[in-house]
Amino acid sequence: MTVDSTSGTPAEDVAADSEDMSLLEREGDIAADYLEVLLDIADLDGDIDIDVEGDRAAVSVVGSGLDRLIGADGATLDALQELTRLAVHRVTGVRSRLMLDVGGHRARRRDELTELGTAAANRVAQSGSEERLDPMTPFERKIVHDAVAAVAGVETESEGEEPARYIVIRPV
Amino acid sequence: MLEEALEHLVRGIVEHPDEVTVDLRDRRQGRVLEVRVHPEDLGKVIGRAGRTAKALRAVMGGLGGRNVRVDLVDVDRGR
Repeated sequence: MTVDSTSGTPAEDVAADSEDMSLLEREGDIAADYLEVLLDIADLDGDIDIDVEGDRAAVSVVGSGLDRLIGADGATLDALQELTRLAVHRVTGVRSRLMLDVGGHRARRRDELTELGTAAANRVAQSGSEERLDPMTPFERKIVHDAVAAVAGVETESEGEEPARYIVIRPV
Repeated sequence: MLEEALEHLVRGIVEHPDEVTVDLRDRRQGRVLEVRVHPEDLGKVIGRAGRTAKALRAVMGGLGGRNVRVDLVDVDRGR
């Protein structure tokens, strides 16, 4: 294993060249090892898929009966993602932005939020009056921003402070 | 299982994995998972604003340890 000891700073902007690609693949492998052992210990059945989505490693634990690792509103999943990122960081020395999914939770949530964002954007485009959405995590807001961006005649902005930061959709 | 799971989760994120121990103790107030790490790693398992400790507790809660407390024990060796 080779870690470039001269680069002490985390790679803030990861362009998708081949060197970064191999870093992301490596992140996926390290994460998979960390999670695999956890599944074993907890006696949970799950297959681990590793992928690269854009400039991030994407790791999914696939299977049913994984609810214990998802938790209410994905709180346990978020915690496990945090720990997995730290485990990757310890090995690579680079801060990881890896995305973890368990039992398809994030994929489902992404679909729901895309629908919600599109519907709200269409309402605002028709009515001409702004709409304020419920507070969301940065991950959730990103999905809604993207969904609204696909609708003509509206724009989005985030307002408020974390963790109560929310999206406002306005007509343009 | 809970001790083993917590030990694995902590070992993966510290600089001195061999010095991680987790003990499950029965206290009057309930069960407690006591985590001991190398003094240099204590900050790592606590994290910025307690974020990592919170994440460890959340995952252990999910794994069925909802009635189990997670304590990070400050060992302060060599003093």
